[in-house]
Amino acid sequence: MLSTGETGAAPVKGRRLSSLLLGLYSRTASALGTTIVLVFLTLALLGPLIAPYGLNEQIAFDALRPPSQAHLFGTDLLGRDVFSRVILGARQVLELAGIGTLAAVLLGTGIGLISGYRGGWLDEIVMRFFDSLLSLPALLLALLLLGTLGPSRRSVLAVIIVVYTPIVARVVRSVTLSVKTRGFVDAARLQGESLGRILFREILPSALPALAVEASLRFSYAIFLVASLGFLGIGVQPPSPDWGLMVKEARAYVSQAPWALYFPAGAIALLVIGVNLMADGLKRELQSGRV
Amino acid sequence: MRFRSIKPHRPALRIRAMLLIGFSVLLAGCGGAAPASQNGTLRVAMQPIVQTDPAFISSDSEVLVANAVYDYLVDIDAENNIQPRLATDWAISEDGLQYIFQLADGVTFHDGTNLTAADIVWTFNRLRDPSLGLPTADLYANIESIEATADNEVTFRLKESNPFFLYDLSDNHALILKAGTEDPSTGFNGTGPFRVENDSSERIDLVANTSYFISGQPKLKRLEFIFFDDEAAAVNALRGGQIDLVMRMSTSLFTSLQDQAGITAISIPTNGFDLVRLRADRAPGSDPRVIQAFKLATDREAAFTLVQQGYGATGRDSPIGPLFTRYFSEDTPIPARDPQAARQLLADAGYPDGLSLTLHTPDTGGRPDLAAVLKEQWAEAGINIDISVEPESVYYGDNGWLDVDLGITGWGSRPVPQFYLDVMLECGAVWNESHFCDEEFDRLSQIAGSTLNEDERIAAYRQIQQILIERGPIIVPYFFAQFAAISDQFEGFELKAFAGRTDFRMVSQVSS
Repeated sequence: MLSTGETGAAPVKGRRLSSLLLGLYSRTASALGTTIVLVFLTLALLGPLIAPYGLNEQIAFDALRPPSQAHLFGTDLLGRDVFSRVILGARQVLELAGIGTLAAVLLGTGIGLISGYRGGWLDEIVMRFFDSLLSLPALLLALLLLGTLGPSRRSVLAVIIVVYTPIVARVVRSVTLSVKTRGFVDAARLQGESLGRILFREILPSALPALAVEASLRFSYAIFLVASLGFLGIGVQPPSPDWGLMVKEARAYVSQAPWALYFPAGAIALLVIGVNLMADGLKRELQSGRV
Repeated sequence: MRFRSIKPHRPALRIRAMLLIGFSVLLAGCGGAAPASQNGTLRVAMQPIVQTDPAFISSDSEVLVANAVYDYLVDIDAENNIQPRLATDWAISEDGLQYIFQLADGVTFHDGTNLTAADIVWTFNRLRDPSLGLPTADLYANIESIEATADNEVTFRLKESNPFFLYDLSDNHALILKAGTEDPSTGFNGTGPFRVENDSSERIDLVANTSYFISGQPKLKRLEFIFFDDEAAAVNALRGGQIDLVMRMSTSLFTSLQDQAGITAISIPTNGFDLVRLRADRAPGSDPRVIQAFKLATDREAAFTLVQQGYGATGRDSPIGPLFTRYFSEDTPIPARDPQAARQLLADAGYPDGLSLTLHTPDTGGRPDLAAVLKEQWAEAGINIDISVEPESVYYGDNGWLDVDLGITGWGSRPVPQFYLDVMLECGAVWNESHFCDEEFDRLSQIAGSTLNEDERIAAYRQIQQILIERGPIIVPYFFAQFAAISDQFEGFELKAFAGRTDFRMVSQVSS
């Protein structure tokens, strides 16, 4: 099984991946989105090789310089190369948002399948608990969690998982509820297939299109969440090249060095737009049944 | 920024007066009301105020309003020297225990009644009354008695001599109220240069006190404080001509005003600083070689240039800054940065692979930036730090800042250096965050804090600076700057290190 990498959800068989990619590239919008995501993925993988400077490398006499040949995106208050930090930040955000979303999707899928298939008191308890989590705004929940766990990368990861698992679980459960009464599921049960086989071989494939779209949406929200937490200063800690944190830091001296704010902010916007365009294309492709 | 309220200021004073310092100052034109010759309106942007009772004020804007409405008994000038205000001259007994103040003539409150010595007595008795629980009770605990020895004469008797007593009397809260004032947070019945005309949640308008006791003051006809929550909005209002003066702003905003026509941007260094400190009472800071390694790994000049953009002053690992001109000394050189030597020292101290520590810092001011700078500088010496940026409520909450091994703490500007030694560096001091404990230091600090001989104090402060540079578990990379920007339409404005103590009596509008 392969995964679509950045979303890490929707397992698609190898030969289907190429047809999915072809489909995504058949329209301008989704082609653009996919390209943006792929470029950022490349940056995340090869960042340290591409970035001309270290993430906290400070050149005192070069502080607050506007974009130039030596510093494509200029330098910040501490004389750090904004271009390098934006590139190195790609791995930061894709890692956090990607791993967080992947974990939330896996966990949410498992819980949604079991809860929906079993029904009864288990379903009641799980869903009411998730409802209570969902009744809190994501950011508030994040603040509560980070207040308890203390700000760190691991805490941010935990926040993404806690915030998004219930959402994914609800989506998968609703598909499970509608599918579990269908004939082929009954047939599998009568054949004496194991619970795992019924859930993952019979029911899950029906949930995959919805899940793939949900996963890519969650991924783009997770990017936002990581950036927001960085901006609020309660996520990853300095001198990490987290884009949200960079925006926060640059805000203090924006009148002197607007580039130190615009480039990381632009990177967040670009990546989120890219993921959303790609998610739209993904939805279209999966619903068209071509894949 | 609010500064921490004043805590026990005076340690037990051990040394008795040994020198005659009875001195007398005759200054400040005093003598009745001047004919009204005021003109012009100064519009000042500032943070909204909460406290109006002088005993509770603490922010710049609260002190600014109070300082316009009320008068101090004695005042501090921009160079931290004591100046007369309601007291025109004074004499100190040989043993340093008795202070006799003569009050200016013809001082009236805004309600028309005359100021008498009884008002001074009432004000300070209120401030020192332990049962009222005011923040100043500790500061004035050393006062034995206050008496009105004549209509215009007040005598303070101290329990123990205190060379900084005049500074204590000019504390931000020590504004003179009318005896018997029931609720000092309302009414604004002061003797000060301006009277409150209108007080709302958006602004406070003041008009000149035409019967102010100093002839020719104030020079302005009106003084308007307009509340701004946002610094950037205040600076824009200054640019647009809706206001005339902004005090306190970010370095970035200040820089943006540098070349602005019609506006004068003013920057002065203060005694406030960021303190980088290592706990010295447990490993790894308990090894003097580790302290040395930290000092050798740090480039103070680079930190100052980057974080403060060169405004303020470079630090020398001691809270006695260059603004204390008599006490500041550059006799002891700061060793040049040498990360290799630092690495070696760490290896000698038993850390051949370097050190890993968490650096805790509040999220205010340039402290997170300083942390990022130090991380890079120290990494070269094998000191690897994780930065933990915390809201002030977390950093100071539960006294966590006194507990952590490595931290950055901001210290506000004070008019005398002894404050920092007493509360931050003496063995067992209440805010001794580095847990520094050094017999020789304590001895010198106690001499400096109690002697009535200025030369002896200067000598003690020089030695103290040497000790702190050589073995103090602290790094002071820089002293902050204080910023203000004022329209060219005004002259006579003198910014003070604590912006709230800025005096508007001499400000006047240039006739156009």
